[in-house]
Amino acid sequence: MSKYETGHPGEGCLLQYNDGEIASGEARRVERHLEACWQCRAELDELRKTVADCVRYRQAVLDRYLPPPPRPWADLYEEFARIDATEAPAGWPKRLARAFAGPAPWRWAAATLAAAAVLCAAFLQLRKAPSVHAAELLGKAVAIADSQPKAVRHIRIRTRTRQIARLIDGVGVESARAPRDADTPAIRALFAAAHYDWDDPLSARSFQAWRDSVPRKRDEVTTVADPERPSESCYQIQTAAESGELASASLTLRATDLHPVESRLEFRDREWVELTEIPEPSMSGTSFNEHLEVPWRPAEPSLPAAPTPREPASISDELQVMNALHQIGADLGDPVDVTRSGDRVLVSGVGIPPRRQKQIHDLLASMPRVDVQFSEPGAVAAAVAPDTGVRVAPPASPPAAGSVQARLERQVGGRAEMERIGAQILDWNESAMARAYALRSLAERFPASAQASLKPGGRNTLDEMAREHAAAMLRHVEAIDGAMTPLLTALGGSASPARAGTPDTWQASAENAFQAARRVEVLLSIVWGATPGDGANSDLPSALLTALQQLKTELEDCQRLLSRDAGG
Amino acid sequence: MSGRSVGNAFVGILRQERAHPALQDQVAKLFEESRQDVYRYLLTLGLPPPRAQETVQEVFMRLYSALKSGESIENPRGWVFRVAHNHGLQVRARYASEEPFDPGLETRLMAAGHDPEQSLLERERLKRFHHAIEGLSEQQKRCVFLRLDGLRYPEIGSTLGISASAVGEFLRRAVSHLRKAGHE
Repeated sequence: MSKYETGHPGEGCLLQYNDGEIASGEARRVERHLEACWQCRAELDELRKTVADCVRYRQAVLDRYLPPPPRPWADLYEEFARIDATEAPAGWPKRLARAFAGPAPWRWAAATLAAAAVLCAAFLQLRKAPSVHAAELLGKAVAIADSQPKAVRHIRIRTRTRQIARLIDGVGVESARAPRDADTPAIRALFAAAHYDWDDPLSARSFQAWRDSVPRKRDEVTTVADPERPSESCYQIQTAAESGELASASLTLRATDLHPVESRLEFRDREWVELTEIPEPSMSGTSFNEHLEVPWRPAEPSLPAAPTPREPASISDELQVMNALHQIGADLGDPVDVTRSGDRVLVSGVGIPPRRQKQIHDLLASMPRVDVQFSEPGAVAAAVAPDTGVRVAPPASPPAAGSVQARLERQVGGRAEMERIGAQILDWNESAMARAYALRSLAERFPASAQASLKPGGRNTLDEMAREHAAAMLRHVEAIDGAMTPLLTALGGSASPARAGTPDTWQASAENAFQAARRVEVLLSIVWGATPGDGANSDLPSALLTALQQLKTELEDCQRLLSRDAGG
Repeated sequence: MSGRSVGNAFVGILRQERAHPALQDQVAKLFEESRQDVYRYLLTLGLPPPRAQETVQEVFMRLYSALKSGESIENPRGWVFRVAHNHGLQVRARYASEEPFDPGLETRLMAAGHDPEQSLLERERLKRFHHAIEGLSEQQKRCVFLRLDGLRYPEIGSTLGISASAVGEFLRRAVSHLRKAGHE
């Protein structure tokens, strides 16, 4: 059970506290908790040790072994002079004289009159040049936005404590799939207090309206990398206000079309809100709703043609939820269960850390007919925790002479190296098993007959998820195979040919892959001494090589069947 | 010539003239203090040493030009890292056909076997930690290196083009991964 579940600050919170990155109020709460909690103090000490390790690494490795600059550093003053010469070919008296030069005899009088204007303009220019730049940029961005057709946009809104996704339609109004009201009042209140437009929060016009309402402000305009495409650049306007609820706000505009992609609002009470546009269309984003279709059903005369709220939740509804969870990796080991009950899809879980709970809540908030219920872990927590694989547990005593472990130890060059390689391989195995469980879960939930009842969009979504799991699993298995094969071959092992026979559906193939993965897991854990087994068995290297070969074959079959479905 | 345009010309001239000594000293001081950190960061980004050194110098020249032209830069060190990061990526892309720079830290660590300043145990520990650092994702590594260079979360976010909260999450994952290495 993680500490966070029982009210302790999480690792991320402690790290931010250690780095001075949390608000003073929260920092005081963490301090009070630390005073009372040995466990968290020990946790913080561990974090600080890791930070100290990083600093030591920089001093002892990076500073010491990274190559020094190949040449002496340039004399910057010479470079400054070169820049000055390029940008200002004439001295200021000459240029000033040129500015006032003219044939008329009354030029001195004109110059005297101009002096007052010069001084005023000088003052204004020196004080306000970035503001003018910011205002111009915003003006252009608003003009471009006004000249284009209004489109639906997906926006992710993050605050210190929550994250929600909003769908804004073309005129800045939330769509029907907006988050439930219960999720937004606090954020709405922040926007209202700051006089910032909640209906269209990520737009040049809203930023401009707020900025124009601020009497005393300071602007900075910089160029930053595009958050979505780091090779391209964006303009970032940062405006700090001397008064008002909003202390500062930034708006990031894509350089190519001045389209707003990101914004951050910092409030006086150290609250903040980040708004990010979610790219569209993409199956990998939060915009999954767009890509799933209503399931195809045989016509039933007793029911009205249009769906009603009482219509039972469908396999397509369940697929939507599974796909959403897949987007945030909640199908990889999180103890989350998805079931259909009447006209609702129920997402439940026991022992989910609060932060993850919130993430899942926010993710599913905009989906109709979905209920989310989490409960705190009780006495049964251990029983429901998923078996996500084998962790390395080096044998307490040296391996028996002649055992596979002892020979492996000699092969890799010692105990320390064996533990390092073993940990790496068992980590890969854990990742592979997480994928194996996820793939099998999809196969069980959506057997071939159920998949056939989905519309093409739904079928593609399911195939895509399965393909992703199979490909990731194969990558992990190939990594294990690449590391293990030379070692096992050196120990006299050899792989037998993989079992012949191919199932007809990817679902059946996924089950075969799962069984093969379980066998690899067991053999790996014996070979690396993580679980007791017959380490003296001379067939162990061959058995593991054969199991790995079989697993790769099963996964390749699965991928082939998935590709066939996509092609068909 | 109108009063306003004369004023603008005068302001431009004044701005250039007033920039000279104070601005140059300011940029030179920052260059002195930060060039090694920025250079090291660019090496970890994959730039070969000559390109990294050129990039560092170029970045400070840009800083001078920006300040001279009146740009308001509240945190010049953060600005330098941000521009170095973006410019470094462009340089790396421009010279993509060149052999990518590999500092070969592991080899150097191994070769330091007879260094009397490091005990065997310490070297083993550093090697393990180096492997753990190598196991971090690119973004996690960048966040860790920039944090080591003293940048705050929003500055790191601004450098990498991600949000401050994403920086927090990358650092949390990185520290969690590195802790495991420390316990081995």
